[in-house]
Amino acid sequence: MAPKTNGVGIRPEETRICVVMVGLPARGKSYIAQKAQRYLKWLSIPAATFNVGNYRRNDAPHPSADFFDTNNAEGERKRRAAAEAAVADMMKWFKSGGVVGILDATNSTKERRKWVLDRINQEGVDVIFVESKCDEEELIMANIRDVKTTSPDYQGQDPEQAALDFRNRIRNYEKVYKTINADGDEDHLTYLKIMNVGRQVIINRIQDYLQSRIVYYLMNLHIRPRSVWLSRHGESMLNLEGRIGGDADLSHRGEEYALKLPELVLESVGSDRPLTVWTSTLKRTIATARHLPKHYNQLQWKALDELDAGVCDGMTYQEIADMYPEDFQARDEDKYNYRYRGGESYRDVVIRLEPIIMELERSEDILIISHQAVIRCIYAYFMQKTQEESPWVPVPLHTLMKLTTRAYGTEVQIYKAEVKAVSTWRGKGSTAKHEDPTPEGGV
Amino acid sequence: MDTLLTAEIAANAPRYRRKSSTFIDGIHDVPSEVGNLAPAQLYSTMSGRLFHSGRIAIVMVGLPARGKTHICVSMARYLSWLGVKTRIFHLGDYRRATVGQGGHVPQDYFYPNASPASVMLRQKILKKCREDIYGWLNHENGQVAIYDAVNPTASGRRALAKEFAKHDVQTLFIESFVDDQEILKENARNVKISSPDFHGMDPDEAAKRYLKRIETKIPVFETMAEEELNYVKMINAGQAFFYNNVSFNYLSHRIVFYLTNLHIKHRTTFFVRAGTATEEDSYKADAPLSAEGEAYAQVMAETLMRHREQERQAIIDQGGPDVPLRPLTIWTSTRLRTIQTAEPLRELGYKVRHRSQMSQINPGVCEKLSERAIRNLYPEEVEKHELDPYHHRYPRAESYHDLAVRLEPIILELEREQNDLLIIAHESVLRVLYSYLMHCSTRDIPKLKFPRDEIIEIIPAAYQNEAKRIHIPGLDPRMIPGSPEDIRIPVPPGLEDFAGGGRQLSPISIPAMMMGSPPSATEVTIGFATGDRKGSVSFGGDRKGSISMSNTGGLRSVSGSFSGGERPVTEKIVNNTAKEMVEDKVGDED
Repeated sequence: MAPKTNGVGIRPEETRICVVMVGLPARGKSYIAQKAQRYLKWLSIPAATFNVGNYRRNDAPHPSADFFDTNNAEGERKRRAAAEAAVADMMKWFKSGGVVGILDATNSTKERRKWVLDRINQEGVDVIFVESKCDEEELIMANIRDVKTTSPDYQGQDPEQAALDFRNRIRNYEKVYKTINADGDEDHLTYLKIMNVGRQVIINRIQDYLQSRIVYYLMNLHIRPRSVWLSRHGESMLNLEGRIGGDADLSHRGEEYALKLPELVLESVGSDRPLTVWTSTLKRTIATARHLPKHYNQLQWKALDELDAGVCDGMTYQEIADMYPEDFQARDEDKYNYRYRGGESYRDVVIRLEPIIMELERSEDILIISHQAVIRCIYAYFMQKTQEESPWVPVPLHTLMKLTTRAYGTEVQIYKAEVKAVSTWRGKGSTAKHEDPTPEGGV
Repeated sequence: MDTLLTAEIAANAPRYRRKSSTFIDGIHDVPSEVGNLAPAQLYSTMSGRLFHSGRIAIVMVGLPARGKTHICVSMARYLSWLGVKTRIFHLGDYRRATVGQGGHVPQDYFYPNASPASVMLRQKILKKCREDIYGWLNHENGQVAIYDAVNPTASGRRALAKEFAKHDVQTLFIESFVDDQEILKENARNVKISSPDFHGMDPDEAAKRYLKRIETKIPVFETMAEEELNYVKMINAGQAFFYNNVSFNYLSHRIVFYLTNLHIKHRTTFFVRAGTATEEDSYKADAPLSAEGEAYAQVMAETLMRHREQERQAIIDQGGPDVPLRPLTIWTSTRLRTIQTAEPLRELGYKVRHRSQMSQINPGVCEKLSERAIRNLYPEEVEKHELDPYHHRYPRAESYHDLAVRLEPIILELEREQNDLLIIAHESVLRVLYSYLMHCSTRDIPKLKFPRDEIIEIIPAAYQNEAKRIHIPGLDPRMIPGSPEDIRIPVPPGLEDFAGGGRQLSPISIPAMMMGSPPSATEVTIGFATGDRKGSVSFGGDRKGSISMSNTGGLRSVSGSFSGGERPVTEKIVNNTAKEMVEDKVGDED
């Protein structure tokens, strides 16, 4: 397909992409779909996953392996109906402004892929197929045990039985499964094929930057277990005064937190294996990290600096409300998109954090010491917080957070330092210097 | 001669390496300073090696006319930008150096059953090239050596990987595989038709003959299928990739990501400053354009449109095809003045995209401070700044390095873009983007100047990019120079390697012969670079200057005489190397 152009060279940016997953059950399709969706949404690219299994369950909640036999006409009909319903919903979603839709299903035959492609192209949406192909028995079995025995399909059943039935279900799929372009007649498709967890990769006919970005992101995913630790800097002198931004030193209590941090980290890590520490370039995060063990490698990133409040830097919320009442109100109305005069918005921060996220995905254990807005943005990535929620998330001072990604979501553990600090959280409309977070505040 | 000296290689192969000015693409330069971090380098390590990767040899695989040079050069550009110490080793340079000027390799040089003499010659050339690679990786802290050669057989590649492994170097093969006849013909046409062998021949016919010649010369070529090797196969200039990953990680993913965005279509990039803003000209205020700024936007747009039309006409006049102009896309930052500068073009129907990453460098505490005030308030910072203007960051400010890291996603989109591209941004952003395309050293980047009365055009070519400047006429001289919202510490005198520093108005380093000569009358001889755009020079010389152009065979010369000009009008300084390189490449088998 040629890039879309018209007479004066307008190339519409409004590309819409449908990521169509391909592969046998238990090949990590849902994991890939879930990660891709999280990443895109975080980048403000409207993304949603449509899991055909969920649609099918409406009709057939607990099917046995026979249901997936291609000779079972009834099963076949229901599965086709579920796929149609999922695609129809996705199309509706595209019309309401969706950009990247992910169709999570096996799509394991050429006929099915052709149907999906035609059906989706017809609506002016580009298709990229993402196949996960894996022949390593051990990996497949691990996947079956971990994920599928907790699947709603097998709720309340004996796990051994469930695993056996699931194995048979896969056999039924294997009978008809064709990997993409196996016969050489699917070369016109845009696709990414990941074989044996990245041992081989085929990339075919990438159409635009967004697609290349998705492909790159998926190639960087790894499945080694690891965690990310997040902490704000210790309480600063400006925090005490309720002033935002600045480049102040730590308060006494902030210093106390810095001293306590190594102990807190050790408790959370559980061993003396070293973490890599990333701080911002501002004094308060560097000071907070300075007592950590010498064998921890430390790096400073400008990209981890606090959201730049522009002309409002160093002011209290009251001062901002007095001096720039319209701005103050505009910010509360759409905190994610509001850009301080001469400064940044949350959206700007997310964009500058993008290389950090890519580095995070490819790295192992990292401890990030940064600032309220930045931690909120990173937290939003891992926890899939919406743009409405993320700028209001309470991130208290003197608290260490451990995030561990699992197949279907992220696990959070909180470690409190028990060193007193002011609260810097602010509810919508408030100009208080310090107030305690409320569950409904802001959101 | 058993041992070839590197110096001999350099002497015999004109495209080996050279020193260059910031106006010449520096991708083939030997970096002179030690400890000079790359523009977007995130961190440094004791060993100098990044991304938890050791020493790597990227070995190119592919027949001639498969775009290997373009891939090598682009990859080196990107990796160096990320801070990975990268150098390209063209085997062809070593072969040419060995056989000497005008010499030829024996007819059976590439045959599998070559005569013992040819085999020995081949071995000698290979040995010397590899010794240089090891020398660079082991003793000069290099991280990635790109080895540009045909490497046609599986057995040869296996042996190579084994040999590199013995030297503790990991090998990643990158094959450019092309079976699309259109791409082949296009590649052959672009590089090879200037050969005397094909003089006066129909380009299609010449391309066909050239491809035929490759086949006879290199009769055996096996595409990669070695399961035990790490390789990326790029098929038909990026239409598909096959990636066999045995032991590689991030760096190779990054390379693949970069390659998926690379294309071989010809397109140019224009850089231009934003117009002047109203008197509240500061970083934080984000003021709109002043009346002069709006007038500037109008004139700039007209100049650009006229220039593009003239270029097109010039191609037709030279007998080129009458093709419509490539579409033009405009990128601005999210700052008001850049958005408003694009307004006249947007009204003409061009697509304008706003990119928040392209906001100007943040001056931090230096905002609105005069140089004297900064020196008084932050004497220690000034001292640090003067030592390393690229990496130093004033309190709350961004360094150029921070800016480069922030611009990295833009770089990839820049590579992906197939339309002509106009970038309207603050001078600091232009400096960094320009430095990517022209491979400037971090010492030079903070000094690059983009006067408002010029549009900079970057024209890509396989071996190196070219920069050209288009004059915007009739501007008030007061609006031309630097940005008032910049940090007002001039480039420290110690680092000034430019004659007549006080009136440094353009990013070009003037060739030695021009230095010290009075601005009243200057003779410049300029050699021309590669490609099909030879005649397309534009001149900014309407300020009391006159320029004449003559065509003396292969080498054209431009001479200009200026009276009372503020600066020498050197429109396009392209070294001869590029030209020689193209001729040199004809009949090339590497």
